[in-house]
Amino acid sequence: MRLETRKLLDKAFSGLGIIAIGVMAMALLLILTPIVVRGSKAFVFKGTIEFRRMMLEQFDRGDPDKFNQEAASTAAARAPVYLMMEEFEAEMKAMKSSERREYKAAFKEVEKSIETLLGPIPGERKPVLLRQQYGQTRWERTLVKLHEALYSEEWDYSNADAMGLLVEKPRVEQFIGTKLEPMFPYLEEHISDMMLPKTTFYWRFITDKSKDSHIFGGIWPEVLGTLYLTLGAMIFAIPMGVIAAIYLCEYAKEGRVVSFLRICISTLAGVPSIVFGLFGLAFFLNTIHVSNSKSVLAGSLTLSLLILPTIIRSSEEAILAVPRAYKEAALGLGAGRWHTVMSVILPASLPGILTGIVISMGRAAGETAPIIFTAAVSVGAPLKIWETLSQPTPALPWNIYNLCTEHEAVDEIRHVQYGMVFTLVAIVLLLNLFAILMRARISKKLRG
Amino acid sequence: MSAKSNQSLIMSDAASRRHRMATLFGQSILFLITSLSTLTVFFIFYFILKDAIPFFKLEGFKEFFTSARWYPSGSPAEFGALPIFMGTGLVTLGAVVVAVPLGIAASVCLSDLLPFHIRQIVKPIIEILAAIPSVAYGFFALVVFAPMLQNHGGAILSAGTWMILGPIFALLVIVMGDLTIDKLRNKVKNPKLAGAIVFPILGILAFTFIYRLASHLSGVEISSGTNALNVAVILGIMALPTVVSVSEDALQAAGRELREGSYALGATRAETIIKTVIPASISGILAAVILGVMRAIGETMVVWMASGNAARLPDPWYNMLQPVRTLTATIAGDMGEADHVTGSSRFHVLFAMAFCLLAFSFIMNLASELIVKRSRKKLGK
Repeated sequence: MRLETRKLLDKAFSGLGIIAIGVMAMALLLILTPIVVRGSKAFVFKGTIEFRRMMLEQFDRGDPDKFNQEAASTAAARAPVYLMMEEFEAEMKAMKSSERREYKAAFKEVEKSIETLLGPIPGERKPVLLRQQYGQTRWERTLVKLHEALYSEEWDYSNADAMGLLVEKPRVEQFIGTKLEPMFPYLEEHISDMMLPKTTFYWRFITDKSKDSHIFGGIWPEVLGTLYLTLGAMIFAIPMGVIAAIYLCEYAKEGRVVSFLRICISTLAGVPSIVFGLFGLAFFLNTIHVSNSKSVLAGSLTLSLLILPTIIRSSEEAILAVPRAYKEAALGLGAGRWHTVMSVILPASLPGILTGIVISMGRAAGETAPIIFTAAVSVGAPLKIWETLSQPTPALPWNIYNLCTEHEAVDEIRHVQYGMVFTLVAIVLLLNLFAILMRARISKKLRG
Repeated sequence: MSAKSNQSLIMSDAASRRHRMATLFGQSILFLITSLSTLTVFFIFYFILKDAIPFFKLEGFKEFFTSARWYPSGSPAEFGALPIFMGTGLVTLGAVVVAVPLGIAASVCLSDLLPFHIRQIVKPIIEILAAIPSVAYGFFALVVFAPMLQNHGGAILSAGTWMILGPIFALLVIVMGDLTIDKLRNKVKNPKLAGAIVFPILGILAFTFIYRLASHLSGVEISSGTNALNVAVILGIMALPTVVSVSEDALQAAGRELREGSYALGATRAETIIKTVIPASISGILAAVILGVMRAIGETMVVWMASGNAARLPDPWYNMLQPVRTLTATIAGDMGEADHVTGSSRFHVLFAMAFCLLAFSFIMNLASELIVKRSRKKLGK
């Protein structure tokens, strides 16, 4: 082969490798961008007057005087809408019954969409459901709902071959010539006066309880549940894992027993996470009954088994990385083996062990499958610490699943879902960042 | 004074025995804890099998493995898990197709091509990909990727074809063209002219091929965004870090001497890697592929959220655009309903599935262990 051809082949080969790395980086970017961008909107968004009303009434937060001023101005802006609706109702009553029937259904829809947009109509009875007591709290949802109030959706099936086509019709066409006609343009023009959108920084999204299954409020029960589960798993897994690593590195003699134990560890690492969940259900709950129902305790135990292999391996690596000279010096000074381990080897390998622990913490926080049958529920209050022994808890990973597949208003609470995913990913990535930095420090120390 | 200190240094027989006993006791406690934490795996096997056996006793093996009818809540209930096994296989196959070529190329690039400081930047990318919780991937697959596939399926497929095949075919054309000219060198008088003819011909051929394929794909309508393709792509991305890091380790373990020997014989870098390094570390790369497969098979959340969960045989069997259902998703999804009827086949069938998963991952794991061990022995002279 010609030399040039070989050089070309070489370059082409490098090109392939770099394309692969590029694809990987792009995949990461593609996945993280929507999560970060839309997730941060759960924290920073344009809140309407309804958001401030909800905050004041439900969480007792905000300045009442200022709110009253704003409320007065929005009420003034909204008054013409209600007035026009009232006038139209009066007009409708005066109509002939056949004519009235024509308008009635359409008006009912308008009335309903105004209620979802602006909240309950003043003077009417307060609705029972919390979500109906307020209008749209977020500006972007307000615009969506405004559109729904202005246009009605119809399916066009005239073309029998294709799928039905969605057609939007302005509602105003249904009310031409009535007193309601001017309401639609008024609504469109004055919506921001009626809602007073203001950039809101809602950092308490993390620490607020949820109201009316996540329609309002924050995600504190989930965050707390995740914390409990993760810390609980660490309580069981750290001592077991580190002791096992010490034994395997410092005490055990290489032989059949140890290689058998190692095979066990690697098998444990390969067990699918859902199988851990089933095992937790069959063993911790149905056999030894650590609690009567699902509980944080059972979930933590299951998670601790899941992360045990990671902790053992990383601790082993850290212990083996301690220079031999340290150990020999300690033994030479007359320290016993246990003494050497405790006073020389463990302190020297601590940063490495910690790195492994932090990474497996991230893993425990994000795992869903093992806690489905052992610890997680969809709705629940934040638990007190002693309740973790017997009570199930909501947890971030489970509730992400639950909110985006089983919640009755999936589209209304996209921001909560994104906020949850963002929070979870942020927790996990921060833990990993910490580990990466720590590892960099260790390798620098070992080199220098 | 000296006698006294002497005495305290030498232990009496009793004290020495006590000391030995204490050491032995401590060691056995350590051993106990270690074996407890490692023997959990036997507990797992035992308890999964214990709840799986009643299913096989009640329903037998034949229907479970061969029937395509999965109606666990019907009456009489039917437990044909074949579509579910097929779904698992299809999704995993797709993930392997995504993860293995990309992963091996990336690991070669990491271990042999990139300079140290760039490697330091790329490694965290892999770690972050591995660290992102599976439910976040699932959320992405369901909320972002599935609607995209559903609304712009054809466009995405054809764009993907261009993006993947474009650079590869460009490289192929250049290389093939060069090789052809090289072959023709002795026969034609003017190699430049030959190049001017060969390159455009190959280029046009490649272009038409991709163009035909892409325009064919752009006509495809995807009726549901939650399908095998969606899941396979996401699972492939999730399995990438495993494949990359394990095979990179294997490539590194092949050692400097091997590479230097090859360079000394005048081989280029690509030739060194393809003809020397990869054959030397092939078993490690195989282990990486196995671990990647295991990651894809064992994943629950992504497939549960985004695979569509339809227990139907895909038609034809390689149709990636239909919703499928996998073992893990079935376990996760059905347990909620089956939980109330503990003791029935409905409950135990899920354990039977879990046992299949467990047995498969155990065998795969053992295989990868053996492969790695053998390769270590081989490399360790």
